[in-house]
Amino acid sequence: MTALLTLQSISKAFFGVYAVRDVTLNVPAGRILGLIGQNGAGKSTLMNLIGGVLAPDAGSMTFDGKPYVPRTPSDAVSAGIAFIHQELNLFTNLSIAENIFLGAFPQRRGFPFVGIDRAAMRRQSEALLEAVDLKVKPESPVEQLAPGERQLVEIAKALQLDARLIIFDEPTTSLTTRETRKLVEIMQRLRERGTTLIYISHILNDVLSLADEIAVMRDGELIAHAPRVEFDASRMISLMVGYSLDQLFPPRTSTPTQTPLLTLKGISQPGIVKDIGLTVNAGEVVGLFGLMGSGRTELARIIFGLDSFASGEIVIGGEVLRHTSVRESIRNRIAFVTENRREEGLLMTSAIAENIGLVSLPRYALPGVQVVDQPRLERAVGQAANQLQIKSGNIERQAAKALSGGNQQKVVIAKWLLSEPSLFIMDEPTRGIDVGAKYEIYSIINTLAAEGNGVLFISSEIEELMGMCDRIVVMSQGEIYGEFTRADFDKEAILRTAFREQATQKAGDHAADPA
Amino acid sequence: MSNKFRGLALVVLTAALLLVNFATLHPTTVRAQAKKKVCFAFQDLETEFWVAGHKAITETLKAKGIDVIEVNGNQDANKQLEQIKDCIAQKVAGIIVIPQDGDSAVTIVKEAQKADIPIAIFNRPPTDTSKGIVVVADNKVIAQQAVEFLAQRALRQVEITGNKVTPLILVGDLGDPNAVGRKDGFYAVIDKYPALFNKPIEVATEWDAKIALANLEAAITANPNIDLIFTSSDFLFPTIRSILEPRGKWLPRGQKGHVIMGGLDGDATACKLIKDGFVDATGVQDLYYEAQLTLDGILGAIDKGETQPNRVLPDPGFALTAGNIDFREKDMWGCRLLAEGFLNKK
Amino acid sequence: MTSVPQRLSSAPRSTASTPPLPRRLWNALRGLLLSEYFILYLSIAYFLLISLFFPTLLEPSNLSNQLTNIWPLLTIAIGQTFVLIIAGIDLSQGSVMAICSVVGGVILSTSLSKSVMSNSPLWGTLLTEKGGILSGDPNAVLVAVLLMVAVGALIGFINGTAITRFNMPPFMVTLVSLLFFSAFAIYLTQSRNIANLPDSFLRLGQGDIVSVYLGEKATPQIKRTELLSLVTYSAVIAVALGVVAHFILSRTVFGRQMYAIGTNRRAAEISGVPTRRVITLVYMFSGACAGLAAVIYSARLGAGRPTLGDNLLLDIIGATVIGGTSLFGGKGKVLWTLFGVVFFTLLLNTLNQMRLSAFQIDAVKGSVILLAALIDVTRNRFLTGGRVA
Repeated sequence: MTALLTLQSISKAFFGVYAVRDVTLNVPAGRILGLIGQNGAGKSTLMNLIGGVLAPDAGSMTFDGKPYVPRTPSDAVSAGIAFIHQELNLFTNLSIAENIFLGAFPQRRGFPFVGIDRAAMRRQSEALLEAVDLKVKPESPVEQLAPGERQLVEIAKALQLDARLIIFDEPTTSLTTRETRKLVEIMQRLRERGTTLIYISHILNDVLSLADEIAVMRDGELIAHAPRVEFDASRMISLMVGYSLDQLFPPRTSTPTQTPLLTLKGISQPGIVKDIGLTVNAGEVVGLFGLMGSGRTELARIIFGLDSFASGEIVIGGEVLRHTSVRESIRNRIAFVTENRREEGLLMTSAIAENIGLVSLPRYALPGVQVVDQPRLERAVGQAANQLQIKSGNIERQAAKALSGGNQQKVVIAKWLLSEPSLFIMDEPTRGIDVGAKYEIYSIINTLAAEGNGVLFISSEIEELMGMCDRIVVMSQGEIYGEFTRADFDKEAILRTAFREQATQKAGDHAADPA
Repeated sequence: MSNKFRGLALVVLTAALLLVNFATLHPTTVRAQAKKKVCFAFQDLETEFWVAGHKAITETLKAKGIDVIEVNGNQDANKQLEQIKDCIAQKVAGIIVIPQDGDSAVTIVKEAQKADIPIAIFNRPPTDTSKGIVVVADNKVIAQQAVEFLAQRALRQVEITGNKVTPLILVGDLGDPNAVGRKDGFYAVIDKYPALFNKPIEVATEWDAKIALANLEAAITANPNIDLIFTSSDFLFPTIRSILEPRGKWLPRGQKGHVIMGGLDGDATACKLIKDGFVDATGVQDLYYEAQLTLDGILGAIDKGETQPNRVLPDPGFALTAGNIDFREKDMWGCRLLAEGFLNKK
Repeated sequence: MTSVPQRLSSAPRSTASTPPLPRRLWNALRGLLLSEYFILYLSIAYFLLISLFFPTLLEPSNLSNQLTNIWPLLTIAIGQTFVLIIAGIDLSQGSVMAICSVVGGVILSTSLSKSVMSNSPLWGTLLTEKGGILSGDPNAVLVAVLLMVAVGALIGFINGTAITRFNMPPFMVTLVSLLFFSAFAIYLTQSRNIANLPDSFLRLGQGDIVSVYLGEKATPQIKRTELLSLVTYSAVIAVALGVVAHFILSRTVFGRQMYAIGTNRRAAEISGVPTRRVITLVYMFSGACAGLAAVIYSARLGAGRPTLGDNLLLDIIGATVIGGTSLFGGKGKVLWTLFGVVFFTLLLNTLNQMRLSAFQIDAVKGSVILLAALIDVTRNRFLTGGRVA
């Protein structure tokens, strides 16, 4: 098996700390190589070295048998390497064709600078879009496309460059199931054409089903590289974290009570949710599942008081509420960990301690002028940080944006813990977090339940909910469509419930997707 | 270069450029300690009157070997106050100021006298004229003289047509006591001849040509039959012309439909217009006389060691009319400038 | 679980792994640039440099003058600092000063001339030949000061409510306020100044509490006494305001919530911060500061002026930004604004000495503000170092 790209003892350090250490890797030609590892393992740095963004401190690379020393990203592009990043690099105000040909516009023949040959551009774009099975006109502006479709445009770009090696970095995080399937098909087709692919992902099952070979990185080193058959999920996880995790989910140590913390009766908001009835008891972890657009986050926002509802009632601690607000909710001891921590959960440029103290400030202040009791607050914040094992530098000085995704999420949870709530609403709490940190968050959720709190766990990962919850409530198109107790947990049944109304939708809609 | 270093280099470079900029624009001067320093604080020189006045004062001072520190307040009273205080800190021998308005003048005079520095106020008097050397024209009297001539013309017109004359006055910024005086002078004459005149139309200008244009345009549109226009300052004649000419009302004396016109200041434009017949009279502030008074006043005070001189030095002025222009034009500063080719330079 | 060395996450994207200058010099430079006192050092260094060419700058009378220029600008800039911290902006401060100045004049004036003021809509009712409402009243000054601050706060309340309740952008709301209240002030007075304010009021802007008598000095021709202001009423006002503002920002819940709103309003809201209340109060504070500054400026100039603060906006925002408060919110301190005001005042002092034209001075002001922005960005890069995991 010939290697298209070889790395020989590649190392890269920043300020004396190795990000990539002595990595020797052969990327097989015409194969899909799955690359896995936790955040901080060095995958991105390695890709940046291949892509010409960084220069290695030691070691060498060859591409197609010849020495490969890219000084800039355009060197990598000229060599035939294309990068499809997690954050897509498309210009939303330009058309698909313009994005594909940016930097390589077909010129009209004759004079230089006479202008762009738009007809040629359109023709070639149509061909490329056909290759990726995207049925949209090349003149359409990118901003009209869904994330999955934009992903396909990026691939079309790569095809235009006639790339020999395409690197996919977490391509499926914002894709629907259907779009993911299409992506997989295209990747397989590319492989059949002879293109080499590197596929980086946290979703281990996807890697297992797609890759021909799998490479595992940990702490900057290449720990394992072998054909796919030698791997299974638990081996992958153990290699990634460095010790064995017998299971993905920590064991539950408590049982739910019958004391309701939160009861929703007939909550409706036209166009958003309809007739929602839901109960969360003390000590219970209730999962809320549904497809994208089913109204879960909207419901959470209504419960927490961020949005209003037209009819129905919320009963908290015996009190019946017809309308509520954020401050009321906090006073009623509800916490809300939102699904996008960067935009809604954290003050990214503020210190970690500042973040953790934010909700509870009034409780740590002297009455009247509200002067902050700094020492008492510092102690409490420090305690919360330790309790959750947040790994960081000095929490009074380090900004939240310097932390890894898992630690950032812990900061958000610590912030809410400090306000001593009894009900936690958590929306996608493990999104974008690596395996080790996920386990820690699950443990935290279990501890919360064990202490008698209630958790409403919103997630799109069925396995996660099945591993963690006492009950799973399924929402579909703004309504509660089904409920499963632990004994009845069944992945297919849950999925089918979530898809129930989809059969009547027109084909072409993303959500319309038979299980 | 790393981003950080590039940023720092840019910062240092810009700072260096700024410093070099100053150094070359204003070479350091080693001041002869013996040279007297006089501070001249003025506002934006927006009319011929101020330009000529500024020139007269600065040139005379420099000719006498005095170091003139010029500061422009840009119509901002607070800025001018700070500039005066700066001058005081620089230990000038005397201060000449053209204030923004009568009230700020009072404050400025107080500052100067607190520091024992003689101060002279040129042409725009403080609302309290008891402090400082105040050189001022009696605007009311001068305006009256000019408008009186216009009234005689109006009398002849009324005799011919049998109708009362409709007058219009362009009023200046009433924060300036000069503008108030001119308005009062105008009304003094109008009220004297109730049989001649209809109720006058007032147009506000705030001493700004743009505002005058807009307001006069509106007034003429609403009252097309204006027979007489008095402007509180000659610098507005071009504005008046731009409104009257398209309407066919810009006609010289002798032609039917001629609008009786008068102004005040005595600038070169007015001189030309009177000669050409469009304007009938203008009240003259004797600019060069006032400048002379100011300089004599301040320099005299400096020589005598007076720290808080208080006196009012009036400029009686006169009216230059179509009737007396032939033998009085040599007394009007604007006509002198005209003869020197002032308007050709424009 | 093995922990990721935290340095990795904050590693810069550069290709160089060693700094381009000898390490000690590099660290010293970094320390200087990042220091809070950077602007202060810069001001003093610049001032001393220019005073080599213009020695009168260092004379005690000049320094005392500059002090009196610092206090009123500081007073109003503190208000703007608060607004910038919550990622807003208050363009209306100048017009608030104008209206408050008029209000003060209407209360305090002891006599008015009919021919000057008779066109004002207030003539005959609030303004007469005897002066204003409380003409001659011994409590007039206290009432006037309180009312001026209150009117400022009221306008701030209007601004804040428009911004929070109707979700209108602060730039637009305060711009509209600027235009409306300037015009309103001019309408009320028909452009005239309301003069003849009582001496007890004028002392607030002009009077000394502590002066330094430097004795008689013989300057070229004339013997004159030199009496320099050291501590004035306006100094006391400004410093007291600064202390209160600093206390709010650094020690109270309100201050922390302000910073949170400026950093990320949505996150703050979800975390239970009463954003609407805080934002409205901050704009009220800004208006009140403008009202207080109006007291000082009106007293300095001796009249209620409807054009007060017309040209001050560039100075206010410039001084605040130079001091280090970020236009993007989440960052700012009273101390920084003090340094910024000092810098601005000293800069203007040197420019006046150089006798530059007004146009040149404005050009320099503009480039200095640009420089401040560059420094801000550079400082930011040093602090954050680069991309994050």
